[in-house]
Amino acid sequence: MGILVDTTRCIGCRACEVACGEEHDLLVPDVINDGALEMQRTTSDKQWMVVNKHETEKGDVFVKRQCMHCYQAACATACPTIAMEKTKKGPVIWDGNKCLGCRYCMVSCPFDMPKFEYGSWNPKLQKCTMCFERLEAGQKPACVKACPTDTLIFGTRADNLEIARHRIYSHPDKYVHQIYGEHEVGGTGYIYLSAVPFDQIGFRTDLGNKPYPEYTKEFLYAVPMVLFGVPAFLLGLNALAGSSKSGGEEEFDPDREGGEG
Amino acid sequence: MNTAVTREMGHFFQFLIQEMKPRGPWLTPFNVISVPVILTGLVVLYFRFVYGLGAVTNLSQDFPWGFWLGFDVVTGIALAGGAYVITFVVYVMKVDKYQSIVRVTVLNALLAYIFYAGALLFDLGRPWHAFNPYIGNSFGFSSVMFLICWHFMLYMVAAFVEFSPVIAEWAHWEKARKILKGLTLGTVIFGITLSILHQSGLGALFLMAKPKIHPLWWSEFIPILFFVSSIYAGLAMIIFEGTISHRVFKNLIDPDSHHAFEDIIFGLAKGAAITMFVYYFMKALLFIHGKQWGFLNDGWGYWYLLEVLGFVLVPGFMFAFGFRNRSLNIVKLASVLALLGIVLNRLNVSFISFRWYAEVHYYPSWQEIVVTLMIIFTEIWIFRWIVTRMPVFKPAH
Amino acid sequence: MNSFVYVNIFETKGLEYLLLLCFWVLFIYLVRYLSAPVKKRKDLP
Repeated sequence: MGILVDTTRCIGCRACEVACGEEHDLLVPDVINDGALEMQRTTSDKQWMVVNKHETEKGDVFVKRQCMHCYQAACATACPTIAMEKTKKGPVIWDGNKCLGCRYCMVSCPFDMPKFEYGSWNPKLQKCTMCFERLEAGQKPACVKACPTDTLIFGTRADNLEIARHRIYSHPDKYVHQIYGEHEVGGTGYIYLSAVPFDQIGFRTDLGNKPYPEYTKEFLYAVPMVLFGVPAFLLGLNALAGSSKSGGEEEFDPDREGGEG
Repeated sequence: MNTAVTREMGHFFQFLIQEMKPRGPWLTPFNVISVPVILTGLVVLYFRFVYGLGAVTNLSQDFPWGFWLGFDVVTGIALAGGAYVITFVVYVMKVDKYQSIVRVTVLNALLAYIFYAGALLFDLGRPWHAFNPYIGNSFGFSSVMFLICWHFMLYMVAAFVEFSPVIAEWAHWEKARKILKGLTLGTVIFGITLSILHQSGLGALFLMAKPKIHPLWWSEFIPILFFVSSIYAGLAMIIFEGTISHRVFKNLIDPDSHHAFEDIIFGLAKGAAITMFVYYFMKALLFIHGKQWGFLNDGWGYWYLLEVLGFVLVPGFMFAFGFRNRSLNIVKLASVLALLGIVLNRLNVSFISFRWYAEVHYYPSWQEIVVTLMIIFTEIWIFRWIVTRMPVFKPAH
Repeated sequence: MNSFVYVNIFETKGLEYLLLLCFWVLFIYLVRYLSAPVKKRKDLP
């Protein structure tokens, strides 16, 4: 499951921010008075999502940002105790009972989404859970339910991609011909449509399409090989090393067998 | 049977109490400096555990890993690489010449791993869950961090077993000493294998952070670079610590071995020269492969050149030159420069070039530095206690 | 998406092999330098 965000429809009302804060006992912003749209914000340990305003040649574009729920999530791969877990349903969620607080997930996430409670003696990792508990109860995520303009569509990734492609084909001048999250980092649960190039609305376009876990794949695959091969190799060297050598300084003689000490 | 065991334990406790008595003056310069630092560090730790990491560190959402992880753990472990190198040379390749420094090097590595893995505990957000990677049913096999947790733990065991004959000798447990001695080769082989994996593993931790680390420091070959540099880091550390130990603990080392020690230093210098030469060319290869000449014309480029030329190429040549001309001073200076180069490299990868594009950069808070010093000073206290009581400077037999 | 850019991923291989050659030549010199008879210390027999 995933969410399609059509930024051409968003009016910046931030009802999603309010709904998310209320649903999860986090900061509920005062959207009328806090003037938050006048600055660029990022998620924090008190807010799982933010809506930012970007001034572009096609006018103001409002973009909701949160955890992308990647298909090959770097954070879930990084976690030594599976406290960060990519669930079968789609959302990447965090389990406080397992978490060591090592923050390796924060280092690995290409979108810098997990946020840490540095001010707490018992810190949590805070990030969007795609309202996993609501999904289990058969409901939609709180932000999707709260959105008044159908900016957010909750559904399977296949359906969302089809809807997104359909919109691009039907209105080729309205959209940039790219669905952000279709290929990026190997595919993400949240995908985006935009009227302007994505780097103008706060997205990094240099993350590549390679799923991030694959960066550590070769190393981790090599580990059992090393554990098999090296001990035997060292024993072999030990057997060939013969009796203890004095290791004194000798002239380098390329014709002498055995080499130098 | 019972009374015999009780009597043995009684003797051992008496022995321990006798050994706990101080062997030197209380007011040495080192003690006077280290004790206040250690006490301050403990106070800082109190605040860290009651008010959270943010109260004592400059860590932030943008910079989740800082000085404790980057220096204490990542750099500290690299500098402890001497043990696997020297045990390889002495026990696997049977080069007796380096016998006399094996014990102290293994002791240093054992203490380093215990203290720096301990330092990791202070950095964890929920250290009471620290055993989770080892127990239970939620093993993150896909995680490099999981691998490192296990390897650190297993290596500590291996290093302890490698050092245990010294403890057995000290406590006069002859039978235990013989058994433990017999385990040496196997443990050494195990330790070398583990070291290869966790030295490179510390580098592998940063592989997924590709978009966040400056291209001059990130490469898919970071694990290999970390492993190769840990070899000469270990050799340089043996030279550095060995030189200091030989002066400070002069009375514990028999005079004959002083000359042999010089031979050892030069032998290590030769090894370091070759390793640094190889490492330098590996960096050059990655530089060419990444077409990185374009990165050289700004501050980061100069910083990179300083690290690679000033703290790798130069000390590498100095090791070779010092060896060839038998100049202890040049070799000692080379080892200091090489060690600084390792520190620089590890810090660059873990937090200096991490998010190099950020507006606000991370730098360690005074509390982070004090706790680091506390850890190092405590380690030296323990080292001194062990070395003045156990036969560490006697050759292994 | 509009244009096709040809990226030759082996572009630097020639330079890399050249570097390797330099490495091997210099390495041999280094080993010879380190294996030559060391200068005797005056205080040793």
